[in-house]
Amino acid sequence: MAALRSITSSAAFAAVRRTPTAVSLGRRGYAEAADKIKLSLVLPHQALYASQDVVQVNISAATGDMGILANHAPAIEPLRAGLLEVIESAGTSKKFFISGGFATVHPNNALTINAVEGAPLEDFSPEAVRSNLADVQRVLGGNGSEAEKAEARIEADVYESLQYALGTK
Amino acid sequence: MSGAIWRQHFTFNKYSQIAARAVRQSLVEAERLKAEKRGDTGLKYQKWENGQGGNHIPFNQPKEDA
Repeated sequence: MAALRSITSSAAFAAVRRTPTAVSLGRRGYAEAADKIKLSLVLPHQALYASQDVVQVNISAATGDMGILANHAPAIEPLRAGLLEVIESAGTSKKFFISGGFATVHPNNALTINAVEGAPLEDFSPEAVRSNLADVQRVLGGNGSEAEKAEARIEADVYESLQYALGTK
Repeated sequence: MSGAIWRQHFTFNKYSQIAARAVRQSLVEAERLKAEKRGDTGLKYQKWENGQGGNHIPFNQPKEDA
Protein backbone atom coordinates (compact mmCIF):
# COMPACT_ATOMS: atom_id res chain seq x y z
CA MET A 1 0.00 0.00 0.00
CA ALA A 2 2.76 2.38 0.84
CA ALA A 3 4.61 1.39 -2.33
CA LEU A 4 1.46 1.88 -4.44
CA ARG A 5 0.85 5.26 -2.90
CA SER A 6 4.34 6.44 -3.60
CA ILE A 7 4.11 5.38 -7.27
CA THR A 8 0.82 7.16 -7.83
CA SER A 9 1.85 10.25 -5.96
CA SER A 10 5.12 10.48 -7.83
CA ALA A 11 3.31 9.93 -11.15
CA ALA A 12 0.78 12.57 -10.24
CA PHE A 13 3.53 14.87 -9.05
CA ALA A 14 5.41 14.42 -12.34
CA ALA A 15 2.23 15.08 -14.32
CA VAL A 16 1.52 18.26 -12.40
CA ARG A 17 5.03 19.53 -12.85
CA ARG A 18 5.02 18.94 -16.61
CA THR A 19 4.06 22.14 -18.44
CA PRO A 20 0.96 21.68 -20.61
CA THR A 21 1.81 22.07 -24.30
CA ALA A 22 -1.51 23.62 -25.25
CA VAL A 23 -2.43 26.78 -23.36
CA SER A 24 -6.09 26.66 -22.40
CA LEU A 25 -6.92 29.96 -24.14
CA GLY A 26 -5.76 28.70 -27.53
CA ARG A 27 -3.73 30.56 -30.13
CA ARG A 28 -5.42 33.53 -31.73
CA GLY A 29 -5.45 33.53 -35.49
CA TYR A 30 -7.53 34.61 -38.44
CA ALA A 31 -10.83 32.98 -39.33
CA GLU A 32 -10.71 30.48 -42.15
CA ALA A 33 -13.17 30.88 -45.00
CA ALA A 34 -15.12 27.85 -43.84
CA ASP A 35 -15.28 28.86 -40.16
CA LYS A 36 -18.61 30.08 -38.90
CA ILE A 37 -19.76 31.84 -35.76
CA LYS A 38 -22.98 31.01 -33.92
CA LEU A 39 -25.28 34.01 -34.13
CA SER A 40 -28.26 34.70 -31.89
CA LEU A 41 -30.01 37.88 -32.96
CA VAL A 42 -32.95 38.52 -30.68
CA LEU A 43 -35.54 41.22 -30.21
CA PRO A 44 -37.74 41.28 -27.09
CA HIS A 45 -40.64 39.87 -29.10
CA GLN A 46 -38.88 37.70 -31.68
CA ALA A 47 -35.69 35.72 -32.32
CA LEU A 48 -34.43 36.52 -35.81
CA TYR A 49 -31.52 34.07 -35.46
CA ALA A 50 -31.22 31.39 -32.77
CA SER A 51 -27.69 29.94 -32.50
CA GLN A 52 -27.33 29.74 -36.27
CA ASP A 53 -23.95 29.35 -37.96
CA VAL A 54 -23.08 32.39 -40.06
CA VAL A 55 -19.90 33.53 -41.73
CA GLN A 56 -19.82 37.23 -40.80
CA VAL A 57 -21.95 39.83 -39.05
CA ASN A 58 -21.48 43.54 -39.70
CA ILE A 59 -22.67 45.72 -36.83
CA SER A 60 -22.87 49.46 -36.19
CA ALA A 61 -21.14 49.70 -32.84
CA ALA A 62 -21.07 52.98 -30.92
CA THR A 63 -17.30 53.00 -31.33
CA GLY A 64 -17.53 52.38 -35.08
CA ASP A 65 -18.69 49.89 -37.66
CA MET A 66 -17.20 46.44 -37.30
CA GLY A 67 -17.39 43.02 -38.89
CA ILE A 68 -17.40 39.95 -36.65
CA LEU A 69 -15.98 36.71 -38.03
CA ALA A 70 -15.54 33.27 -36.48
CA ASN A 71 -13.36 33.06 -33.36
CA HIS A 72 -13.52 36.79 -32.73
CA ALA A 73 -11.97 38.02 -29.48
CA PRO A 74 -14.58 38.41 -26.74
CA ALA A 75 -16.16 41.85 -26.79
CA ILE A 76 -19.19 43.76 -25.59
CA GLU A 77 -20.27 46.57 -27.89
CA PRO A 78 -23.20 48.95 -27.51
CA LEU A 79 -24.93 49.39 -30.85
CA ARG A 80 -26.11 52.60 -32.53
CA ALA A 81 -29.31 52.71 -34.54
CA GLY A 82 -28.01 51.31 -37.79
CA LEU A 83 -27.62 48.61 -40.37
CA LEU A 84 -26.92 45.06 -39.32
CA GLU A 85 -25.79 42.72 -42.08
CA VAL A 86 -25.65 38.96 -41.63
CA ILE A 87 -23.59 37.02 -44.18
CA GLU A 88 -24.91 33.50 -43.77
CA SER A 89 -22.64 31.93 -46.36
CA ALA A 90 -20.36 33.27 -49.05
CA GLY A 91 -22.61 35.27 -51.33
CA THR A 92 -25.90 35.43 -49.38
CA SER A 93 -26.38 38.32 -47.01
CA LYS A 94 -29.43 39.62 -45.14
CA LYS A 95 -29.74 43.22 -44.04
CA PHE A 96 -31.63 44.42 -41.01
CA PHE A 97 -32.00 47.79 -39.35
CA ILE A 98 -32.00 47.88 -35.57
CA SER A 99 -32.76 50.73 -33.21
CA GLY A 100 -29.93 49.89 -30.84
CA GLY A 101 -28.87 47.32 -28.30
CA PHE A 102 -25.77 45.31 -27.46
CA ALA A 103 -23.55 42.85 -29.28
CA THR A 104 -21.67 40.34 -27.14
CA VAL A 105 -18.97 38.09 -28.58
CA HIS A 106 -18.54 35.10 -26.27
CA PRO A 107 -15.27 33.22 -25.83
CA ASN A 108 -16.76 30.04 -27.33
CA ASN A 109 -17.26 31.41 -30.86
CA ALA A 110 -20.78 32.68 -30.28
CA LEU A 111 -22.26 36.11 -30.94
CA THR A 112 -25.36 37.37 -29.20
CA ILE A 113 -27.01 40.55 -30.43
CA ASN A 114 -29.81 41.93 -28.29
CA ALA A 115 -31.71 44.65 -30.09
CA VAL A 116 -34.65 46.65 -28.80
CA GLU A 117 -36.45 47.02 -32.14
CA GLY A 118 -35.53 45.96 -35.62
CA ALA A 119 -36.75 44.55 -38.91
CA PRO A 120 -35.45 43.41 -42.30
CA LEU A 121 -34.48 46.37 -44.46
CA GLU A 122 -37.27 45.73 -46.99
CA ASP A 123 -39.89 46.29 -44.25
CA PHE A 124 -39.05 49.99 -44.08
CA SER A 125 -40.75 52.67 -46.14
CA PRO A 126 -38.51 55.47 -47.51
CA GLU A 127 -41.51 57.82 -47.74
CA ALA A 128 -42.34 57.31 -44.06
CA VAL A 129 -38.71 57.94 -43.13
CA ARG A 130 -38.59 61.11 -45.24
CA SER A 131 -41.75 62.54 -43.72
CA ASN A 132 -40.73 61.57 -40.17
CA LEU A 133 -37.37 63.23 -40.67
CA ALA A 134 -39.05 66.42 -41.94
CA ASP A 135 -41.34 66.50 -38.87
CA VAL A 136 -38.43 66.07 -36.52
CA GLN A 137 -36.29 68.68 -38.23
CA ARG A 138 -39.16 71.12 -37.77
CA VAL A 139 -39.00 70.47 -34.01
CA LEU A 140 -35.24 70.92 -34.05
CA GLY A 141 -35.57 74.27 -35.79
CA GLY A 142 -38.42 75.42 -33.58
CA ASN A 143 -38.38 76.86 -30.07
CA GLY A 144 -39.18 73.89 -27.86
CA SER A 145 -37.35 72.98 -24.67
CA GLU A 146 -33.85 71.49 -24.62
CA ALA A 147 -35.28 68.08 -23.72
CA GLU A 148 -37.69 68.15 -26.66
CA LYS A 149 -34.85 69.07 -28.99
CA ALA A 150 -32.66 66.31 -27.53
CA GLU A 151 -35.48 63.83 -28.19
CA ALA A 152 -35.85 65.16 -31.74
CA ARG A 153 -32.09 64.84 -32.22
CA ILE A 154 -32.20 61.15 -31.23
CA GLU A 155 -35.02 60.52 -33.70
CA ALA A 156 -33.28 62.52 -36.44
CA ASP A 157 -30.16 60.40 -36.01
CA VAL A 158 -32.25 57.24 -36.38
CA TYR A 159 -34.01 58.52 -39.52
CA GLU A 160 -30.78 59.73 -41.12
CA SER A 161 -29.14 56.39 -40.40
CA LEU A 162 -32.17 54.63 -41.86
CA GLN A 163 -32.02 56.74 -45.02
CA TYR A 164 -28.35 55.88 -45.42
CA ALA A 165 -29.09 52.19 -44.91
CA LEU A 166 -31.99 52.23 -47.40
CA GLY A 167 -29.72 53.95 -49.91
CA THR A 168 -27.41 50.94 -49.81
CA LYS A 169 -30.26 48.46 -50.44
CA MET B 1 -22.92 58.13 -28.48
CA SER B 2 -21.26 58.36 -25.09
CA GLY B 3 -20.80 62.15 -25.28
CA ALA B 4 -24.23 62.81 -26.73
CA ILE B 5 -26.51 65.65 -25.66
CA TRP B 6 -29.37 63.35 -24.65
CA ARG B 7 -27.39 62.17 -21.63
CA GLN B 8 -28.09 65.52 -19.97
CA HIS B 9 -31.85 64.92 -20.22
CA PHE B 10 -32.61 61.20 -20.42
CA THR B 11 -31.59 57.86 -19.03
CA PHE B 12 -30.25 55.21 -21.38
CA ASN B 13 -33.56 53.35 -21.15
CA LYS B 14 -35.48 56.41 -22.31
CA TYR B 15 -33.01 56.95 -25.17
CA SER B 16 -33.46 53.31 -26.14
CA GLN B 17 -37.26 53.64 -26.21
CA ILE B 18 -37.13 56.85 -28.25
CA ALA B 19 -34.94 55.18 -30.89
CA ALA B 20 -37.20 52.10 -30.92
CA ARG B 21 -40.27 54.27 -31.42
CA ALA B 22 -38.56 56.04 -34.35
CA VAL B 23 -37.78 52.67 -35.96
CA ARG B 24 -41.37 51.48 -35.49
CA GLN B 25 -42.77 54.60 -37.10
CA SER B 26 -40.64 54.04 -40.20
CA LEU B 27 -41.99 50.61 -41.16
CA VAL B 28 -44.31 49.95 -44.09
CA GLU B 29 -47.99 50.28 -43.19
CA ALA B 30 -48.79 46.63 -42.50
CA GLU B 31 -45.71 46.05 -40.32
CA ARG B 32 -46.14 49.41 -38.62
CA LEU B 33 -49.63 48.57 -37.37
CA LYS B 34 -48.34 45.34 -35.82
CA ALA B 35 -45.35 47.11 -34.35
CA GLU B 36 -47.22 50.06 -32.83
CA LYS B 37 -48.90 47.71 -30.35
CA ARG B 38 -45.45 46.87 -28.98
CA GLY B 39 -44.94 50.50 -28.10
CA ASP B 40 -48.02 50.75 -25.91
CA THR B 41 -47.45 50.27 -22.21
CA GLY B 42 -50.07 50.25 -19.52
CA LEU B 43 -50.01 50.17 -15.75
CA LYS B 44 -52.70 49.44 -13.26
CA TYR B 45 -52.53 49.00 -9.52
CA GLN B 46 -54.59 47.45 -6.79
CA LYS B 47 -54.56 48.24 -3.09
CA TRP B 48 -54.75 45.32 -0.66
CA GLU B 49 -56.14 45.61 2.86
CA ASN B 50 -56.75 42.82 5.39
CA GLY B 51 -56.16 40.21 2.73
CA GLN B 52 -58.76 41.75 0.41
CA GLY B 53 -57.81 43.31 -2.89
CA GLY B 54 -59.34 46.61 -3.88
CA ASN B 55 -60.30 47.73 -7.36
CA HIS B 56 -57.86 47.69 -10.23
CA ILE B 57 -57.08 51.31 -10.99
CA PRO B 58 -55.43 52.14 -14.33
CA PHE B 59 -52.54 54.52 -14.01
CA ASN B 60 -52.95 55.93 -17.52
CA GLN B 61 -55.91 55.38 -19.75
CA PRO B 62 -54.78 53.61 -22.96
CA LYS B 63 -54.97 55.66 -26.16
CA GLU B 64 -58.37 55.39 -27.86
CA ASP B 65 -58.13 53.83 -31.32
CA ALA B 66 -58.84 56.49 -33.95
